[in-house]
Amino acid sequence: MDETLEELSLLEALDHLLDRGVVIAGEAVISIGDVDLLYLGLNIVLANVDAIVRTGRK
Amino acid sequence: MIVANDEATLRQQLAFTDSMIPERISADPEIVENGLAKLVLSIIELIRRLLEKQALRRMDAGNLSDDEIEKLGTALMKLEEKMNELKRTFGLSDDDLNLKLGPVKMWE
Amino acid sequence: MKSVIIGAHLQRDDIEPVAEALAVGDLFLSGLPVADDQPLGDRDLLLRVAKVRAALLDRATFIAIRYGFAGSPPEVASKCAAHVERWRALLEQHRDEVEMTLKVVAPEQQPRPDRRDFTSGGDYLKALHAATTAVDVDPDFRAAVENAIGKGRWLHRDQASLEFAALVARDAVERVRVAGEELKQRFPRVPFLLSGPWPLEVFADDRGE
Repeated sequence: MDETLEELSLLEALDHLLDRGVVIAGEAVISIGDVDLLYLGLNIVLANVDAIVRTGRK
Repeated sequence: MIVANDEATLRQQLAFTDSMIPERISADPEIVENGLAKLVLSIIELIRRLLEKQALRRMDAGNLSDDEIEKLGTALMKLEEKMNELKRTFGLSDDDLNLKLGPVKMWE
Repeated sequence: MKSVIIGAHLQRDDIEPVAEALAVGDLFLSGLPVADDQPLGDRDLLLRVAKVRAALLDRATFIAIRYGFAGSPPEVASKCAAHVERWRALLEQHRDEVEMTLKVVAPEQQPRPDRRDFTSGGDYLKALHAATTAVDVDPDFRAAVENAIGKGRWLHRDQASLEFAALVARDAVERVRVAGEELKQRFPRVPFLLSGPWPLEVFADDRGE
């Protein structure tokens, strides 16, 4: 498979994994007023922060 | 299975870069080297985008009351305004803050 | 030990031995056990889960649970209990089907509304939303997509693209792929991405009929 197609394929698989499906409320919920908005995205963002901080300390 | 027409345009234009796919941070030391302000603002910007995206999904689903739409919209406006203020204060542009996906080689 | 939850399935055999099966009511959830301190935003873990997902879909259709939900068996069971009945109805209804999606880049990006033009937050949000729903593509292409794949839904994910999602019979996937290649021939200048099969994602939020 051509490189760009392979990359697209991978990005598609991850897009489907991360951005669809039934949302089950996780520990982190960001609400604005009473509207629950961000459930799971925050876990990943926080994990990124963690990785960034750890890399910075090396 | 995948059938793609015009891979280059798809790669550029489809919103993969707006998704939550984490970066291989260790392969992108630029983010760490350029200071705490950039780091913090990048994350806030990511959250702002995610919040906006989710708000739009809820609009799609059509299950928000007028009051909720008003509150959400106002909060998003304020968040955007605040982000712009912070960017100006620290002299950072949108490009500086872009948590880009990176080339496919990072995946290996 | 916590498990990263992948999907909801009708039978234990739909899951094992590819992943771990957790019983909830009379359904089973698939999970990947990971260390308690394993961050979920880990690229390697994501790739592993994506692979397991594909292997699970090979066995049977399931309801996709969005990535990021992880916990111990009792936590997982209690959070999913309320959904089980609805999921079972959906799984039985669509047992032999899979999801296919087609993304297409819109010829013009809708301009983003400027928040400074609005005094009401609600009006701003509505304008943002209108900009995404205004996105459209060549009606001939739209019709051709529906012909190629079948009845489905058009979704407005952002201001620059449109997406079509449909449920097709498992044994029709190859036919759809061929139809996709024909679409490529017929519309050489429309950038689109046809992919699948996928578990129930877009249709997972439906109430069963």
